[in-house]
Amino acid sequence: MGIKESIKKLLQEADLYKKHGLLDEARGKYTEVQKWVREHDRIQNKEKILKGIANKIRLLDSEGKRVQKGPQSPELSAKAQDLIKKLFSFSKTDSEEEALLEGAIALAKFGQFERALGEFKKLIDKESHRVVAAKNVLRCHIQLNSEDTAADQYEEWARNEHFPPAQLEKIRLFLIEILKIKGIQRDLTPIPMEEETVQEPEEEEFIDISSIGIYFNAGPAKDKVVEFDVNFQSGNMLSLIISKNDAKTIELIKEGDALKDLQFFSPIAMFNGSGVVSAKSEIRSGPKQGDFCLDIKIASK
Amino acid sequence: MAIFNLKKREIECKIVYYGPGRGGKTTNLEYIFKKYSKQITGEMVSINTEGDRTLFFDFLPMGLGKIRGCDIKMQLYTVPGQVQYSATRKLVLRGVDGIVFVADSLEVRREKNMLSLKDLQKNLKEYGLNIFKIPLVLQYNKRDLADEGIPLMSIEQMEKDLNRQLKAPSFPGSATKGTGIGDTLKECAQLTLKALQKELQWAQ
Repeated sequence: MGIKESIKKLLQEADLYKKHGLLDEARGKYTEVQKWVREHDRIQNKEKILKGIANKIRLLDSEGKRVQKGPQSPELSAKAQDLIKKLFSFSKTDSEEEALLEGAIALAKFGQFERALGEFKKLIDKESHRVVAAKNVLRCHIQLNSEDTAADQYEEWARNEHFPPAQLEKIRLFLIEILKIKGIQRDLTPIPMEEETVQEPEEEEFIDISSIGIYFNAGPAKDKVVEFDVNFQSGNMLSLIISKNDAKTIELIKEGDALKDLQFFSPIAMFNGSGVVSAKSEIRSGPKQGDFCLDIKIASK
Repeated sequence: MAIFNLKKREIECKIVYYGPGRGGKTTNLEYIFKKYSKQITGEMVSINTEGDRTLFFDFLPMGLGKIRGCDIKMQLYTVPGQVQYSATRKLVLRGVDGIVFVADSLEVRREKNMLSLKDLQKNLKEYGLNIFKIPLVLQYNKRDLADEGIPLMSIEQMEKDLNRQLKAPSFPGSATKGTGIGDTLKECAQLTLKALQKELQWAQ
């Protein structure tokens, strides 16, 4: 096969990969042709061909960036949202409220925060779910980048005594925590609690997390979500034992780091959230010597 | 997990099309939607796509009629194939009864197939499911591209890469041309229903 035919064949292959949306493969093939053309002096219009290929690579890169970035969870049609609610509510109970909560959570999982917000608000007046619903209302506001609205919402609940003091305090602490993760310091009006109503704070009920996905924006796992098994959990504190083989991956994680875009996996649910690295230490002795122990406190879920 | 409504004698099961991004999962469902219109009980819904990339999932409801006195409803889903949509993949996989793994026959996608299969195994494990035990069918898609002179893996190679241990039924296919699509679905439906029959004992 002559040089001209070889180039043509390689370019056709690259074009086909591009047509099929296989951007990395197309890029690889274009680069291969580019190298090939550079190495052969007897090719006519060499500069023109190289320019054409460089242009194709540039377009691919820009397409690749767009795909990698993905959409910012745009709101879907009401019909699509209804379908998500229907298909991803796994409650087997006949409780209407439970189904409503599951539906709202499903919407939030698929990034439909506006609609989820409305659904969670409907649950605020239902005694069994009001605290969970309130926290999710605030979380939706935060996800929609309306931190002020979240704070205003809390103040409104505080003003109109919508919640008993103990519940409101839980909600206030929760909001302070998630605002802190976003780097926002905000004073929220505490509700004075009467002596007899002050109770020992209940431990938050957290579902068992079996693994956690951490998104890395730098290092060897840049732009990837790496999943780690949870070895121990106490409430909202997760302990991970990370193999020394993954030392490079977690190298950039430091104590006190706020981790956004965390994915929590449990046998019954998955959700996105954020957390704070409470501790990171190397195991100095025993069978796990050289591995790392990473403690992550779940800040919001 | 299938829903068995004893009162209505109705079984609703879930089949998920899994596989690497751009491998032809959505095209499989589109073909089924066109070809098996009698069995289709609703619209095919594609939830959030970017160009022709699936970002959330596709959904296609089917009715297979009565089998041993039970009305069988089957819901077909696809997952987003791109690596970054791991959480959505996991979410869609929840409650799965049968799986079609759509592998890409292009030589350049060899590693992606293997990674996706590994991802499937891991995600199933999270739900307490075993890839060796769940009804699973493999489809080696895009066989038609050989005609365009594009390097494809041989079926033997793909069997060796993906199916050496699983020993699942497998079919060569072309989702754009419709080759092997019906066979894949039928095999998966049969395996799934057999497994459900064993589990739920609905015909006794």
